[in-house]
Amino acid sequence: MPRLLRHALFILVPLIAALAIAPAVYGNHLLLFNLIVFMTLAQGINIVYGFTGYLPFGYVGFFGAGAYGFSLAVMHLHASPFAALALGALAALLLGLGLTPLFRLSGAYFAIASLAAALAVLQIVSNPALEHITNGPYGVSLSGVFDPSLAYAVALAILAGTVLLVIWLRNARFGLALQAIREDAISAGMAGINVVRGRVIAWLLAALIAGLTGGVYAWYISVFYPETVFSGEVTVFAIVFALFGGTATILGPILGVAILYGIYNAIGISTPQYFQLVYGLLIMGLVLFLPNGLVSLLRRRGVDVP
Amino acid sequence: MIRHTLLAALSSLALVTPAVAAEAPAEIKLGALYASSGRFASISMPVHDGMMLWLEQKNAEGGVFVKVFNRKIPLKLIAYDDQSNTGTAATLYNQLITQDKVDILIADSGSVLTSVAVPIARDNKMLLIDQTGTGATFFTPDNPYIVLLDDPVSTIWPKPLADFLTQEGPKLGIKKVAMIYATNDFTGTQANAVRKFIKESNSGVELVYDQGVPTETSNYTVLINNIRATQPDAVIELGYAPNDIAFLRNLADSGVKFNFLFCIYPGLETDLLAKNVGAAGLNGVFTYVPSSEMSYESEFGMNLPQFKAAWNKAYGHGKVEFGFNSVAGYTTGLVLEKALATADSLDQLALRKAIFDLSGKLKTIDGTFELNAEGAQIGEITPLGQLAAEGEQIKFVTVWPFAVATGKPIYPAP
Repeated sequence: MPRLLRHALFILVPLIAALAIAPAVYGNHLLLFNLIVFMTLAQGINIVYGFTGYLPFGYVGFFGAGAYGFSLAVMHLHASPFAALALGALAALLLGLGLTPLFRLSGAYFAIASLAAALAVLQIVSNPALEHITNGPYGVSLSGVFDPSLAYAVALAILAGTVLLVIWLRNARFGLALQAIREDAISAGMAGINVVRGRVIAWLLAALIAGLTGGVYAWYISVFYPETVFSGEVTVFAIVFALFGGTATILGPILGVAILYGIYNAIGISTPQYFQLVYGLLIMGLVLFLPNGLVSLLRRRGVDVP
Repeated sequence: MIRHTLLAALSSLALVTPAVAAEAPAEIKLGALYASSGRFASISMPVHDGMMLWLEQKNAEGGVFVKVFNRKIPLKLIAYDDQSNTGTAATLYNQLITQDKVDILIADSGSVLTSVAVPIARDNKMLLIDQTGTGATFFTPDNPYIVLLDDPVSTIWPKPLADFLTQEGPKLGIKKVAMIYATNDFTGTQANAVRKFIKESNSGVELVYDQGVPTETSNYTVLINNIRATQPDAVIELGYAPNDIAFLRNLADSGVKFNFLFCIYPGLETDLLAKNVGAAGLNGVFTYVPSSEMSYESEFGMNLPQFKAAWNKAYGHGKVEFGFNSVAGYTTGLVLEKALATADSLDQLALRKAIFDLSGKLKTIDGTFELNAEGAQIGEITPLGQLAAEGEQIKFVTVWPFAVATGKPIYPAP
């Protein structure tokens, strides 16, 4: 059986089936929806950081662009949720295209510059002078298209598409090319890989994923403020979840979200006052003992983790 | 005939009585969130403690009377700490509804932490008891699952202020008004309302400075100088408590003086502001006169002196200041108590109807409870007052509307 098919059968199908059944078993649907959102975003981070080595602290900018693209399409064009979702994704793609010059930077400089870009977009969206377009800092209400059940199903479809994309990257020449770029861009270029094209495609794919996720998030929650969809916490969580599980793998971000988001909610409900302490210790432990994520535990024992 | 009638009555009793007895719960479960830390803690904790005061009082009396079961039932509060985080709050609201299965869902204080509860409550067909989330976007004709209990919706707040400036202002020589506001839902909506009221008044009063600033603004020095350059007769500063503290401190440091200065929180959280700015820094400042200072004639629940005494007895440690928000929390309890005493069932829409039926009829220490068709609070208005410092003591003088005025405004302010 080809590896791609095997990965799809043994990772993607059970994951999506479990999340499709979960609402019938567990009543806190928002928690499940957020689980899907973070799994999708963590895979987006996986594509741009795990495969190309660029860590975008401002990844939430695409998420927010998608959410506002969706909202503006609904509010001003009276678009259907699916058309609005497409426009949200387009908004994130356009933002991604506009930010491609950031690839002139690398490492911490790129991370900080992308964060600044996301904050700039937040300030533009929440500017009171644009109230007639974005409703400024006063938030949006999309009660007309409110349909959490359908939004949940669409979020699940987006996650399925994203995981499938990562499975393909993990098994295709293009994914290998991206990893070669990550390891040594000059050598990769010498070997005939188009470095710029590879990076831009990975960047735009990550932007598209975040844009779609932001759009479906706006659809699901329907009432929100700019700070909610441009919150730095979204990026931090997505990055931490991806790193905790292990990047450049299919399973790593999924495991990271399942474990860390589970702990986050368990602590948040039972003993929220210890949340920062427990999370801080976990992240310190990760950095000190498992810099390559949980999957490295298996890899050290010779297990090939997809 | 008599025998048949008796038999029929007994049969119906036999059918009805066991059902009612079985349905009566051992307790009414209230689910609420509070923020013990983070940027909303200062407005959340007084509201939460105010409601707790009501709840403990009722449980000491054996519970609240629930009409549908024709008896008193104890209250059980399930409360989680969202730490001012909207993501955590969203999960916890869901937890209260889906796992704890509360009978009544009560939002945390303020618009930001309430906003995430609006769609969740609607999705789960739970009536959201919105305590102080005044965002105008929450209230739509197609959503019956929200009702605002303790604060007027943001668009109503500045009406007395704007009326004073446009009706009394010209007589006092006020023509040029400067407005600076934090760009968040609470104060931004009020700024819009002020703008609208002034424009529609055709009073000759004009806005010569109108500037929004991020809510995180902590230094107003340059902005104060910009405002002074426009030579306004009156200055309106709209922000959360940290904004007002920063503005008033910077104003004192700069030596600039405005003849009329309005801020929101010197009235709403006077003790907190006095601690941070000093009584002298609040002298002459115009502000909202909150229910914690107004002594409304309460027809249900404790009156203001009784409530203040109960508060000091329960929370005399001083960690959470007495003020407008503590009255708001207590009012939440009173409205729920009254609604449970009149609701035909514990069904969420029946509860909503019972709360709506109180509109215009219920008078508490928070003023007259009145709702519009969408569930937004339009009673419980906030008159305009001016603060007078006497040593370290701060007194409120209500100046507008005339019907409730306790004194005349001092203009220019001392």
